[in-house]
Amino acid sequence: MTSKWTSRLIIGLTLTFLIGPFLIIILAGMSAGDFLAFPPDGLSLKWYIKVFTVESFQKSFALSMFLAVFGTLTALVLGVPAAYAISRYDIPFGETIKTVVAAPIIVPGIIVGLALLRYLVIPLGFTVTLALFLAHTALVLPYAVRVVLSSLNNLESDMEEAAVLLGCSRVGAFTRVVLPNIQGGVLAAFILGFVTSFNQVPVSLFLSGPGVRTLPIDMLSYMEITFDPSVAALSALLAFLSVVIVFVAEKFLGFSRYV
Amino acid sequence: MSDRFVSLQKLSLAYGQTEVVPELDLDIREGELIALLGPSGCGKTTTMRAIAGLMAPKTGKIFIDGTDVTRTPANKRGIGLVFQSYALFPHLSAFENVAFGLRLKKMDNLEVTSRVEHGLNTVGLAHLAARKPAEMSGGQQQRLSLSRSLVMEPKVLLLDEPLSNLDARLRLEMRTELQRLQRETGITMVFVTHDQAEALALADRIVLMKEGVIEQLGTADELYNKPASKFAADFFGFENIFAVSDAGIVGNKGSLAGTFEAQDGHLAWRPGAVVVGKGPYEGTVTGVAFAGEQREYVIEAALGQIKATTPATDKRYEIGDSVAFDLPLAGAWHLPEGRQGVLMAK
Amino acid sequence: MFQNNREGLALALPAAVFTALLFLLPVGILLSEAFRVDGQWSLQGYVDFAVKPLNQTVFLRTLKLGFLVASVSAVIGYASAFCIVNMDAKSRGRVFGLVVLPLMISPVARTYAWIVILGRTGIVNDAIVGLGLSDTPIRILFTETAVFLGLLQLFLPLMIISLVSAMENLPKDVIPAARVLGANWFQVFTKVILPLTKDGLVMGGTLVFTGSLTAYIPPAILGGSKVLMLETLLYQRVNVANDFVSAGIIATILIVMSFGANLLLKRIAAARK
Ligand SMILES: Nc1ncnc2c1ncn2[C@@H]1O[C@H](COP(=O)(O)OP(=O)(O)OP(=O)(O)O)[C@@H](O)[C@H]1O
Ligand SMILES: [Mg+2]
Repeated sequence: MTSKWTSRLIIGLTLTFLIGPFLIIILAGMSAGDFLAFPPDGLSLKWYIKVFTVESFQKSFALSMFLAVFGTLTALVLGVPAAYAISRYDIPFGETIKTVVAAPIIVPGIIVGLALLRYLVIPLGFTVTLALFLAHTALVLPYAVRVVLSSLNNLESDMEEAAVLLGCSRVGAFTRVVLPNIQGGVLAAFILGFVTSFNQVPVSLFLSGPGVRTLPIDMLSYMEITFDPSVAALSALLAFLSVVIVFVAEKFLGFSRYV
Repeated sequence: MSDRFVSLQKLSLAYGQTEVVPELDLDIREGELIALLGPSGCGKTTTMRAIAGLMAPKTGKIFIDGTDVTRTPANKRGIGLVFQSYALFPHLSAFENVAFGLRLKKMDNLEVTSRVEHGLNTVGLAHLAARKPAEMSGGQQQRLSLSRSLVMEPKVLLLDEPLSNLDARLRLEMRTELQRLQRETGITMVFVTHDQAEALALADRIVLMKEGVIEQLGTADELYNKPASKFAADFFGFENIFAVSDAGIVGNKGSLAGTFEAQDGHLAWRPGAVVVGKGPYEGTVTGVAFAGEQREYVIEAALGQIKATTPATDKRYEIGDSVAFDLPLAGAWHLPEGRQGVLMAK
Repeated sequence: MFQNNREGLALALPAAVFTALLFLLPVGILLSEAFRVDGQWSLQGYVDFAVKPLNQTVFLRTLKLGFLVASVSAVIGYASAFCIVNMDAKSRGRVFGLVVLPLMISPVARTYAWIVILGRTGIVNDAIVGLGLSDTPIRILFTETAVFLGLLQLFLPLMIISLVSAMENLPKDVIPAARVLGANWFQVFTKVILPLTKDGLVMGGTLVFTGSLTAYIPPAILGGSKVLMLETLLYQRVNVANDFVSAGIIATILIVMSFGANLLLKRIAAARK
């Protein structure tokens, strides 16, 4: 069966290209030396331990977590009703509204950060953190709407009418019947939004100030000055975190069908 | 017993600019089983949704048990609706599906349990209480949906094509079941169907609709034997309908002059009323089908197509055979223009 | 469908207003600034931008890299997707999971790996020197090749996903049927697979191309100031020269190109139907 081996070879090469670099990063982070190298100069876990003690990483990790969690939650608070309206009502200007909400996917992120800096932070006195929060929320919103919308569209609207006829209010029908049936989609939207926001770089490029930096931006500026393996270690840790999140999500939600 | 338990008065229904029901007047008696019958798209579901309160009428009023409920929201009307899709809650067990409405009434738990158990028992599902809808068969889901509405003891129960998703055998079973439930509970029921046989078998009265207008309202016997219009006659099996004028009948291909001494209007024959094998007219057999006790023929004649049936024991004709036939005036259903239909005297 | 559409509008409006006011409005103003020179409406900014050789180089390079990455990922994508859909269900799920996984991982982490691989003391150079192909390490980092590899690794999964879902929807047995009718593999591909999966190709192509155009991290980490792309040029113009006119122009170019690529690919797909 030559075709079977050809096929394995192709997949093997593709996966090596996609996944291999992570293995290298993990090992490079385990170096006992002071400079980034592969193969590493001896093995140790010192860089993996060190990244937890770097103050700027601690701060930027906290900021990134805050943005990812609260930005995504806010996006869901805005996005779930919007998705519900899109799927269940014939709203006036429906197409316009859909386009507006989807727009952040198309606009290059770097422009968004710059625009918010120029017109919200500088003249209106918004803090950088607030601007970051708004930008991340808007950026996650299209994903939230899309994922929740597809769950809603798979749910028959008859069910809500049945609930109303059994005595539910409209809101009651939503919380008792719709929400329990789309919770997988909402959770998937949260995870997707969280990951998107946490990994986001361009939007945050211009939106950083003294002590206010997201983790990826902090990593970028750290690697400009220092050439030690700590960024490799941190990268490996982040990759590991993503793997865990995705693995758990896939196990319990069948996450990949929502992406 | 009120004769106008549910009363629709000058009801007009539309989706945006599309008018579906122009003006509907209908009175439904307390405790009766009434069928809304009509071809696809004639507005049956729409009418039902209006009664349930899922859709606001453009104009007109809806009374239930003497109260004007036109502005009453759907969750306060006390009406049950069994959806064609069943609309069961997939995240809840059979038990919780039935309990759903009762719990909203803030009934205490013991009462809920006993009512749900009784409700599931009535439809023969007590043993499946813990199952989710996805783990039940179509017929079971159907009964669960019925039970969910019944435990609410609605004033009126609406059923939208309740039997259409079931296979032939289950459909017959459910028909009997529905009749039994209706007799036992005495609930006023309105059910939608586009199957005339189902309406005839089940309903105390039948409302025949066409394009949002009531064509005829009456008992099964009245609709079957005394259709009031060409549309109704066609719907109830008078498959040969021809315009009659000056004692001649006109089909879509040609006409037969002569002996049809009837006032201008329409003459209609069921396939069984057509005489095959003898008679003054001539045609060619273009279709023949064996249907158990009888044989069904399609005969192409000067008039157009004639549909006829003969007992299976009669002489058999093949496709391509020339055959004589007759449309006997005696026994034909006559719909004179602007007047009530009559059976032509033998 | 509910009938009370004002209620629906009330539910959808907060999201739309949020995005419009806090996102689109500032971006719109920024873009419009590129059309203003000394307080006057003018296209002078665009003219000045276009005549600078550096800008031309960067523009063409961005276009070239976007095109290259999209083409190469289409080739690898077809080969991989074909293998993936022909696997048994279990390994297919696993491999597909491994393809999707990198998308969830920080692009900074994903790109940083290439520094280790391509740097002066990286594995590639170790191999080159070790094999005696060169006495001293050669420069790979901060070349277009490095940026290309970074972009390809970032966006290849999007192409594979699009093509896998397109191929999963292929009618069963069309490929064996074509083989039996005498087509060789090349003909099977051009006459059967390609026409039937072109929607997936358009989808994947748009995602990869626009993704590469607007990517910041690979050119920033692997290209530096030697291999600028439009995004890194934008960053530099603002950071170094406070040049918001150029920023607006680059942004407009990026948006127009993204839209244009999408429309063009859709056209091509529609024309071949
Ligand atoms: N949401 C809607 N928007 C616009 N028009 C609709 C809508 N729902 C139904 N209609 C139209 O209203 C008319 C009546 O529809 P309705 O569903 O009441 O028909 P029906 O008698 O129940 O038909 P069926 O037997 O096929 O279920 C149809 O012409 C249909 O196209
Ligand atoms: Mg209907």
